[in-house]
Amino acid sequence: MSEKPERPAKAVKLNVINEPKDSYTGGKSSLCPGCGHDQISNVIISAAWESGIQPHRIAKMSGIGCSSKTPAYYLGKSHGFNTVHGRMPSVTTGAYAVNKDLLYIGVSGDGDSASIGIGQLIHAIRRNIDMVYIIENNGVYGLTKGQYSATADIGSKKKKGAPNKTQPIDLCALAINLGCTFVARSFSGSKKQLNSLLKAAMSHKGFALIDVISPCVTFNNNDESMKSYSYVKENEITLHMTDYIPHFNPITEVEVPEGHYRDITLHDGSTIRLETISDEHDPSDAVAALTALHNAESNAKHVTGLLYFDNTKDSLAEDLGIVDTPLIDVSDDVLRPNKKALDEINSAFFG
Amino acid sequence: MEDIANDFTINIATANGTGSQSANLILLQSLFDMGIPVSGKNLFPSNISGLPTWYIVRLSDKGYQAPGDRTHIQVLVNPATWDEDIEALEPGSVVIWNENAKMEMTREDVVSYPIPMSALARKINPKIAKLVTNIVYVGALAEILGIDQNALEQAVAKQFKGKDTAIELNITALSLGRDYFRDNLAKIDPYVAESRKKDKSQFFVEGNEAIALGSHFGGVQMLAWYPITPSSSIAEGIIAWSAELRSDSEGNFTCSIIQAEDELAAAGMVLGAGWAGGRGMTATSGPGISLMQEFIGLGYFAEIPSVFWDVNRVGPSTGLPTRTQQSDIAMLYEGSHGDTQHIVIIPGTVEECFEFGWRVFDYAERFQTPVFGMSDLDLGMNRWACDGFEYPTEKMDRGKVVRDLKTFEAFDDFGRYLDVDGDGIPYRTLPGSGMAPILYRGTGHNTKGVYSEKPADYLALMTRLKEKIERSRDYLPAPILREEKECQIGIIYFGSMENTIQEIDDMLEDTGLKVSQCRIRALPAHSEIERFVERHEHTIILEINRDGQLYGILRKELPNNLVSRVHSVAYSDGMPPRARIYTDKILAKLKEVHI
Repeated sequence: MSEKPERPAKAVKLNVINEPKDSYTGGKSSLCPGCGHDQISNVIISAAWESGIQPHRIAKMSGIGCSSKTPAYYLGKSHGFNTVHGRMPSVTTGAYAVNKDLLYIGVSGDGDSASIGIGQLIHAIRRNIDMVYIIENNGVYGLTKGQYSATADIGSKKKKGAPNKTQPIDLCALAINLGCTFVARSFSGSKKQLNSLLKAAMSHKGFALIDVISPCVTFNNNDESMKSYSYVKENEITLHMTDYIPHFNPITEVEVPEGHYRDITLHDGSTIRLETISDEHDPSDAVAALTALHNAESNAKHVTGLLYFDNTKDSLAEDLGIVDTPLIDVSDDVLRPNKKALDEINSAFFG
Repeated sequence: MEDIANDFTINIATANGTGSQSANLILLQSLFDMGIPVSGKNLFPSNISGLPTWYIVRLSDKGYQAPGDRTHIQVLVNPATWDEDIEALEPGSVVIWNENAKMEMTREDVVSYPIPMSALARKINPKIAKLVTNIVYVGALAEILGIDQNALEQAVAKQFKGKDTAIELNITALSLGRDYFRDNLAKIDPYVAESRKKDKSQFFVEGNEAIALGSHFGGVQMLAWYPITPSSSIAEGIIAWSAELRSDSEGNFTCSIIQAEDELAAAGMVLGAGWAGGRGMTATSGPGISLMQEFIGLGYFAEIPSVFWDVNRVGPSTGLPTRTQQSDIAMLYEGSHGDTQHIVIIPGTVEECFEFGWRVFDYAERFQTPVFGMSDLDLGMNRWACDGFEYPTEKMDRGKVVRDLKTFEAFDDFGRYLDVDGDGIPYRTLPGSGMAPILYRGTGHNTKGVYSEKPADYLALMTRLKEKIERSRDYLPAPILREEKECQIGIIYFGSMENTIQEIDDMLEDTGLKVSQCRIRALPAHSEIERFVERHEHTIILEINRDGQLYGILRKELPNNLVSRVHSVAYSDGMPPRARIYTDKILAKLKEVHI
């Protein structure tokens, strides 16, 4: 038996901070083979790597459910917190309140975000906390074996049982109405679009919501389901083709014909370029965004792309009026008022 | 007739939202400034305006702070409770009543002082007559009891600090009440307020404000809260003091304060802050703790330092939201589903409210677990005499946090849940540090924090958690013991019962029964508690609830041979504890066990 000739060492591709992509991967997924969520995990890995974010400066947050298990499958060098069902926003808010300098990436499902945790999602949006909030939306409760969630469309049919008759909640429309500063919809199979949106969301200062339709291969992938692969592939309207240009790359790298794109500058100086393929959608126009969602719904389609964007609002850190140093880095001596301060309080009380 | 000086109770019946609270506080403060040991209890309704409110002022040279068992002087302003207030009086009581209330004085066996309070108030300003009426009765009381005019005016100035018009108006109203009594009525009751020389200087403060200040001196970095009576004034106190205590030269804060959307979110934020390496806290009451149960279990299982203050009100359910009770202790100690056990720190004085206000953070970070502070409405919302706050005697204990690479690399093997030191407390690294990152979880996990359903992993984790909390026993505040020599009966109590225990003790002694006292200040119970029970033939566990919750906890934890020595006396009707009731119940219980 002859020895196999050694393969020549392949040059490992590094990102702008000299990290290989391996630095951004996680454990092996235990989700069903072919799950849309795994595709999203892969996009998170790529987007973080391509953006050159230090992996340990990311905090991955989740609730409970299939989607919320995924933080174990990406960004193995980041701390994370798989919290309780639907309450990831509050845990993230508390963490952010003491360490505003981490990049918080929350992953949630439609059970988490549209039902048990809808209140927390709403209030996190309201506070405009700096975080990326990904909803892996499949219209079913996967981990408890296929019950309808609150985002299931009317008429959707699960594997067994009657079609859904209850009005769904459109989380993008909800977010736009709440004044969410970054609202996008995508599809787990649209890697390129999702990658661009995700990178833009990571650069955004404020709450960035991306609702990703992510079909459940086990419980919601029959053709009657409006969140199945075949349905979404055939009925997706792409509002924009998006390209994300990190601030460390020259913008000229992307060639888009004049008059067919719009650049949006994000807080960190990077740019998201929207290529309009339908009507010219103005992402600063909330009414236009809601109209697009409404029209898509009327035609039983899904509209994807960056729906709404607003970079004028203060985020929670500014509203809290806290010092610039993350509070966890403020020294104990500063945190505890000195003895003189207490002496003064005592004497004021003694009067 | 012999004077009765500084040993009586005044009950003032008004309606909520009429401004009677300021008038009552002026009365209380002026008596306090005369050096008289005095306590005030506000029995207010769950309402903003219109419902009956009673304010109970007790003067007691013996230092008794409970409301006392009877009313000696009744002030009647509120027609709504007029008849029942009159009916409840013992013969010989004094009634100071508003002649303009269109109500009758139906008792002849009482000392009756009719005062046209509303008419006098209208003289000053008809528009605010209702408000001024309250100050008029304070003026009348001052004349009847002989309250020092200087003390009264100082108290007015304190109450309306900086508002000159209000001060002037109130002083005029006081004089109207005083003058009316002097010119039209004759004092025929024995009650007088006599100045005393104070042996130490003290001030009045509410427990909640003391906790708020203590929290700042504990370096709280994040407060998340949702308004609920009777805890809101802790959060509001933290907010009020943050500019003075916690802002830099540019006015930026070193503490984030977030009013959450509900108690669930508040608890989540506290855990988030603790997970990220900060000192997070919330303040709530029983209903809030009920809502927080899920997160409390996560905090216990994932080992997240977190601080929860519970200002106990009357349960179950919405219960009596503005009344006091000690009925949350079992829920705090064993909160959330599954096997859990939590550290509970229980102040009994305003000084301890301050001290435990900062210490709870040290305990939470030392033991990497949720820590509860337990107060109640009586301690939290009433004003208590305070000797002053003592500056923290120890540096902040940030617990086992690995903050630098050198320390980190010295570990042979690092696991978030690895018991390196054999004390049940593992080491942790913080998000953002890049050291040993893990995905924290509420699911089963091994010593590396990785998901595991293996029986051995689960068992090892649960055993270590049990041991960790077990080891906190003698680290937490030790009980306060007041022991009589060769005494056979002991009383174990906790929290705000501190303000009634001495009176109970004296009442028992009047029957020839000497008892030792042991005030528990933390759970799990200090080993001293067991020794205290051991030293006494019988020990009463005294608490302000129906079921004897602390008794249940101690019975479970005491060795078998001591269990038969402890007996429960538990009672609550929503009122602050009155010594007579508890004394009688203790005597009955001892009779039952054949003493």
